[in-house]
Amino acid sequence: MPHTAATTPGTPILRAEGVCKAFESGRQHTQVLDHLSLAIDPGELTLISGPSGCGKSTLLAVLSGLQKVDSGRVYALGSELGQLDLRALENFRLQHTGFVFQGFNLFPALTALEQVELPLTHMGLSRQEARERARHSLEEVGLSHRVKLRPSELSGGEKQRVAIARALAKEPELLFADEPTSALDAANGQTIIDILHTIARTHGTTVLCVSHDPRLVAHADRVLAMEDGRILSDRRPGAGAPKESSP
Amino acid sequence: MVALARKTLVYEWRRFLPAILAVGFAGLLQLLQLALVLGIFGATSVYITRSSADVWVGFPGTQSVGSGRSIDPNVESRVLMDPAVTRVEPYEWIDGDWRGAGNTGGVSVFVSGIDPSAQGLMFSKVLPPALRARLAEPDAVIVDRADIDKLGVKLDQTATINGHRVRVVGVGSGLRGLGGINVIASLDTAHRLDADDADNGPTYFVAKLRDPAQAEAVATRLRGDAAFGPYTTWSAANFARISVTYWLFDTGAGAGVLFLAGIVFLVGAVITSQTLVGAVQGSVREYATLNALGVGVGALRKVVLEQAFWVGALGLIGATVLGVALLVLARSQDVPVVLGPVAAITCITLVMGQATVSGMAAMRSMRRIDPATLLR
Repeated sequence: MPHTAATTPGTPILRAEGVCKAFESGRQHTQVLDHLSLAIDPGELTLISGPSGCGKSTLLAVLSGLQKVDSGRVYALGSELGQLDLRALENFRLQHTGFVFQGFNLFPALTALEQVELPLTHMGLSRQEARERARHSLEEVGLSHRVKLRPSELSGGEKQRVAIARALAKEPELLFADEPTSALDAANGQTIIDILHTIARTHGTTVLCVSHDPRLVAHADRVLAMEDGRILSDRRPGAGAPKESSP
Repeated sequence: MVALARKTLVYEWRRFLPAILAVGFAGLLQLLQLALVLGIFGATSVYITRSSADVWVGFPGTQSVGSGRSIDPNVESRVLMDPAVTRVEPYEWIDGDWRGAGNTGGVSVFVSGIDPSAQGLMFSKVLPPALRARLAEPDAVIVDRADIDKLGVKLDQTATINGHRVRVVGVGSGLRGLGGINVIASLDTAHRLDADDADNGPTYFVAKLRDPAQAEAVATRLRGDAAFGPYTTWSAANFARISVTYWLFDTGAGAGVLFLAGIVFLVGAVITSQTLVGAVQGSVREYATLNALGVGVGALRKVVLEQAFWVGALGLIGATVLGVALLVLARSQDVPVVLGPVAAITCITLVMGQATVSGMAAMRSMRRIDPATLLR
């Protein structure tokens, strides 16, 4: 369901209002997010790009509830994240969010299937359900033939696909991805981009992706360019673009 | 639930091996130390543990077998009146000064005067009837084969105790005591050797019961009758425990054991916790990812605690196998080692306690898990 840029408050799935975040390092005071406001619509693949140090990863951390803001508010799925305590935040992330990081962060001892099953069992799913969901997710990222392999037996691209399956199997409303392609070669990077794109299209998952990979731009519903803790531009490159995943 | 803790332990066993070894060897040390101490100090109660008496009657307040005082001989009839009692016999304890034929100088000995008859209770577990019958000869004594060199005699040679002549008519085993050498004689011989004129009764009466399981109840029942002068009663197990405990703490060995146990515990715990901390640090990004996905820190801590448990359990298995082998070896070499169920459970508790403490220490390092650090 494509949305227009004009949204009334309450409609966006994710919203930041006047968010500030600064880091102190000795006498150095760095304003990473500077009164930033933003609304993300559901079911879209939004790309945040910008030079390194512009605050895009911090924005992702703040929007996903991994970090608290200094001032301002973040609303996700109607909850104000600043009002939630650590446990409630963990539970919020457990129920509603998925993450894909630049490093794949897979447990060396577990097979691909177990990596995906692990968070599911913590969600209260039965063993059977967790296994089925995990298999399905791995199938979706094209790894149904590699489910029994451990990370040491998988390529970089395959590892990232396992990581995506791990996030996807939770069936989250929000999927956060931080530089998901930067550790991968061109072909594998393209595969990951296609998968993220498909997730947003077929699952209605809101995908928020931080990346400076220009290939992602063509796949994004919306591209936010950041610099010095502010959003410089907000455009929709795919307005009227084909729905196919290939550019 | 995916068995993350166990699978990681199996897959990265090299990482966990130092902890397993630390726990195992610490457990082995605790076990051997305890077995040795109990073995050595158990010698202070051989009089009780190698005899088949169920109830002991002695002077009130006696803290160890060796520190008894004489009691009224008429107590015997009081004990015999109890319907649970089938046999009562006196037991005489005399401190002696042994002068052997060889150049051994004076040797401090503990003379045990016992009933040499075949039904005799004292030392019945280590003195076969034929051997104890030889004690019926006047001035006959039996000593442990391990002590005979120290006493400077050979079988059938004579020596003196407190100036009286005695003859070694036999050697036994399992008679070794602590603090002095045990010499077994008949009650008559022992009376002749007694240098203390104040002794006008035996040091103890020992009783056999119809049902040994009643020892505690009968001991309690026989206590507190003042008609025969001061005496008290113990079950054999209780008196043995009192004796061993007295020696453990009187000699300071108990404190030494506790001190050493503490050090071993601490060293083991430090190595184990450091290994576990290392394992946590090695997986910190994976743990942080799970936390980002909403798996609570509590659940992640459980993984570490479970790993600590398995490390403890594996260490324990290793310690048990090695420990049993070493104890068997020690027994075969006449090294006094004793390991009862209480001591074994103590060791198991120590090992698992050590693993738990290590796991909890390692859990502290999980505070560093912050999923925000995964976003650069």
